[in-house]
Amino acid sequence: MRADRTSLLWSPVGRVLPLVLIGLLWQAASTSGLIDPAFLPSPVRVGTAIYDLLAGREIRDNLFITLWRAGLGLALGSIAGVWLGLMMARSPVFRAYATPIVGGTYSLPKSALIPLFILWFGIGTATSVCAVFLSCLLPMVVNTAQGVTSTPRVLVWGAEAFGTRPRAMLWRVYLPHALPNIFAGLRVALGFSFVLAISSEMIASTNGIGKLIFMYGENGAYDYMFAAIACIVVVAFVADRLLLMLTAKSLRWHESAQRST
Amino acid sequence: MTATATKIVSQRGLFARSMVSVLTIIVIWEAVARAGLASPLFLPPFTKVMAEWWAVCADGSLPLDLAVSLSRAAVGLCLATAIGVPLGIAMARSRFLHWLFDPVIALAFPSPKIAFLPIFILWFGIYSFSKILLVAFACVFPILIGSFAAASSVNRVLIWSAASLGTSRLRMLFRIVLPAAWPRIFAALRVALPVSLITTFTAEMVSGGGGMGATLMYSQRFFESPTVFAYILTMLGVGLLLDFIMLKLQAASAWSTGA
Repeated sequence: MRADRTSLLWSPVGRVLPLVLIGLLWQAASTSGLIDPAFLPSPVRVGTAIYDLLAGREIRDNLFITLWRAGLGLALGSIAGVWLGLMMARSPVFRAYATPIVGGTYSLPKSALIPLFILWFGIGTATSVCAVFLSCLLPMVVNTAQGVTSTPRVLVWGAEAFGTRPRAMLWRVYLPHALPNIFAGLRVALGFSFVLAISSEMIASTNGIGKLIFMYGENGAYDYMFAAIACIVVVAFVADRLLLMLTAKSLRWHESAQRST
Repeated sequence: MTATATKIVSQRGLFARSMVSVLTIIVIWEAVARAGLASPLFLPPFTKVMAEWWAVCADGSLPLDLAVSLSRAAVGLCLATAIGVPLGIAMARSRFLHWLFDPVIALAFPSPKIAFLPIFILWFGIYSFSKILLVAFACVFPILIGSFAAASSVNRVLIWSAASLGTSRLRMLFRIVLPAAWPRIFAALRVALPVSLITTFTAEMVSGGGGMGATLMYSQRFFESPTVFAYILTMLGVGLLLDFIMLKLQAASAWSTGA
């Protein structure tokens, strides 16, 4: 291939370089007075604010509250979603009845239901968890149903020929075959869980990271606002990467893993 | 077994069952509300919601809100397309651009975009402009990634043949790369469409300033439950309709079944 220069750029260190460049540009624009630091605090100030926040309890407590809401909703939504998806794929009658409901709620922006949940459950964790639950449920249902329906007949016949009982078929054939789809749905659901948890906190909550960001913004503590947003971006990024790693680990046997390595 | 069962459930039977399940929900809703099992504050009867829907449609407030929200979503989506598609294709054609933007996209793609709303409000005010830019920001990443993937997977043979026939770089882009990548770019746009709607509605709910989301929150605060339900049902209908239109457009514009 070409010279070492390009391979160096594509190394793990080289790939962080663009982010460092952006940071330097940002800092330069800030110190030279090109942009008003009131509108865009310099990276150094945001960094100090992050350090300050991490030392205190405020961000940790609120972040944990948000993560708890997002996590609980995601867990409940994925379990229910896989089960419903399985039902839809295996029972044509159930599918016929459930399709319009799934189709209708799939395209509904789930955050529109937050006012309704506030009416029903008041302000707090129940509202957030319900919104996250519904937003995670739909991608899981659709993806699981797709994965199970597309199971090749040959696999089913093969398993039947080996005397696999119907109940075992579920665990040995259908679910493993749907696993790549389930993980794809889980990645979408993970993104939704953060969005819904944070937006429900922004709309109506007394705590959580979404509320915290807005509070800093309203008090004019913009470096803290940027710092809190940076924390969310990092947490969402790490969660996404962890899920991708888990996916790669669980799907080692799958042909998609063999192709990519 | 299931194969024969699926065949027996014909298209018409499927439609009938769909209708039955939707009707069942409406009837149960109406019955529960009318029987007083739930307070009308929490669950107004379906008929009352429809009457309210008709009233807000007739006095022009719902169509106006819908127009405001849809125009914000549309402008944001167009902006995201105008940035995302060219940049995605450029990234597929140039290794340097790929190197430059890949870490930024990797970091920004999984982040919840709504968290950036306070920054957009700080920079661009609380009116439409900040919401439109937030929508564009939320939509640009799926479009960018989709266009990049689409342009990267264009069949090499097509490009080589065109190059050996003396096609210039610009003509190559418009005659080869764009047409070949189009089906998958359109699929990315179809993914971005609900994102634009969700972001618009949520931004309006959080920061007000007119539109469907703002009125929805406003009615909730004054406990006008029928209006809340009417607006949610309208959003549901709009989401379904737009997805249906995109599906038809996709079918009409897909001259090939993906690259």
